[in-house]
Amino acid sequence: MSDLTLSKTTAERATLANFFRSHRRSTQFKQIVILLILGIGAFLMIMPFEWMLATSFSRSANIAMPRVVRFFPADPSLFNYQVAITNLPLPRLYLNSFIVTAVATVGYLFFSALTGYAFAKGRFVGKSILFLIILMTLMIPFEVRMIPLYFLIKEMGLRNNLLALILPFLAGGFGVFLMRQYISTIPDDLVDAARVDGASEFTIFWRVILPLCGPPLAALAVLSALWRWNDLIWPLLAISDRNMYTVTLGLAVAGRSQGTYTGSALANAALAIIPITIVYLLLQRYIIRGIAMTGLKG
Amino acid sequence: MNLSGLPNEMRKQLRDSLIWYALIAPTFILFAIFVAYPTIETFRLSLYREVATKQEFVGLAHYARLLGDQIFRSALLNTALLGAAFLLIVIPLGLVLASLLNNLKYAPNFFKVVYFLPQITSSVAIALIFGYVFQPNWGLLNNGLRALGVDPLPLWLADPNYNLTGSRAAATILAVYVALGYYMLVTLAGLQAIPQELYDAAVVDGANFWQAWWYITIPNLRPTFVFLIITGSIEALSRFGDLYTLGGPGGSPARSLQTIVMYLYQTAFESNDFNLASATAVLLFLIMLAVTIFNFRALLQREFSRRD
Repeated sequence: MSDLTLSKTTAERATLANFFRSHRRSTQFKQIVILLILGIGAFLMIMPFEWMLATSFSRSANIAMPRVVRFFPADPSLFNYQVAITNLPLPRLYLNSFIVTAVATVGYLFFSALTGYAFAKGRFVGKSILFLIILMTLMIPFEVRMIPLYFLIKEMGLRNNLLALILPFLAGGFGVFLMRQYISTIPDDLVDAARVDGASEFTIFWRVILPLCGPPLAALAVLSALWRWNDLIWPLLAISDRNMYTVTLGLAVAGRSQGTYTGSALANAALAIIPITIVYLLLQRYIIRGIAMTGLKG
Repeated sequence: MNLSGLPNEMRKQLRDSLIWYALIAPTFILFAIFVAYPTIETFRLSLYREVATKQEFVGLAHYARLLGDQIFRSALLNTALLGAAFLLIVIPLGLVLASLLNNLKYAPNFFKVVYFLPQITSSVAIALIFGYVFQPNWGLLNNGLRALGVDPLPLWLADPNYNLTGSRAAATILAVYVALGYYMLVTLAGLQAIPQELYDAAVVDGANFWQAWWYITIPNLRPTFVFLIITGSIEALSRFGDLYTLGGPGGSPARSLQTIVMYLYQTAFESNDFNLASATAVLLFLIMLAVTIFNFRALLQREFSRRD
């Protein structure tokens, strides 16, 4: 190697250096073009949000809207936000959404992991048929079973109860499937060693398996939280009491009933979007990794 | 449990199975109540009719009525058109953005976060904002187009006709805006899974950028595209939340944005015809099944025939 380097003539070195310099210049140019295109895209992505904020802070936005693009309100005021908080009991809606999302997600993770563990490491009669049933539930979209589900919830006396938004989503085929795939990759030796030590199957699941399932659990948590927080059609059926609305339901209903009151409707939207955006920015690494891992979203 | 009637070996097998049955029991009970029962009940309801609070068997009458119903047929057409337009735009656009992002050295994470943002804030919130963005006189979009000198300005959501500046176009722009970041991220994950050696070998063989793209990138992204088309079709068929926010369950203007699920919702919860709505649900299920099977066969045919 060193002989080769030493034997290079000065001319050869010069051409090589030249090649690298021009190569670097062209890659830098390429980088700038890419940055420019993606930057324009990013600008277009953010613009509606910026416009929402600018309009929501404009005092006259309910009466007259400017016919030019404005990124700052000409007449800044908090008026629309004062209207917005009287329109909807937003703190209460946030609490409802939070309870539903948190309880449903914790349950979904627990039942997915527990069932996934049984199908990955268990030996029992009828295992493949039972797993096939799990996979079949994936084929049935929610919309197809929603009408009888509505009557069922009504019969159970759970209309306008947050439990109605939690119970049907505690167990899901996709979660079981994902956890089974992941737990299958954990070596049997770990499970067998714990079994020799006399641990029960549930203890093995709780103490040995679960601590190893960080990545798929994080991905499932992101998905479940997005599904529950953003769901509209089921809360629309199960909830009619304004105090039991989720944030998404409140937004869809209030947004529609406000019609032309642009400023206060957009203030409502801003109040629903800003807290989620902050959580998203704090957790973006996990959320984006989770989406890339499962390839599914809300 | 009394298993004394069974042979010894079988008895032991069943006893060993018990603990596992206990672990999966809660999930199966939840599935029985919230998945199996409502699904079967939907099929049953679709064959009955309510007469003076009693259910009366009518066979396939609801299905015959649906297929002859102009409103249902137009909802079906809307769903198909909106879904096809969405997928035809979002998959190529996601590929372009993912390819650019894959070659970017600076701040790739910043762009991932920004492009994915609308997905997080829910399509309902975005639809609420876009209802105003599309306002013909002073909405953000037309204000921008006016600044660029466009004349006459599109009517967007005020125009129910089949054209490229009408309500369906607006609904498609909205859907692409919301979902683009997701399609970009999934395509990017697919791009990054392609082994670098393939490109190195292509360079050695003297391939240029476009040849490498056409003969290496596209074929290797096939599984990604298949996945996106299958899940995207199912999602497009069940589209509801954003269009409900824009135009109510009727999909105004002039039902131009009414999808099958919105039709189902309106039939059940505004007209209180739960039997007809159940028949709609069954048809939706069959359509989804057919589309998924079609996608599998059309897209994976090459994989199957190659194995033979």
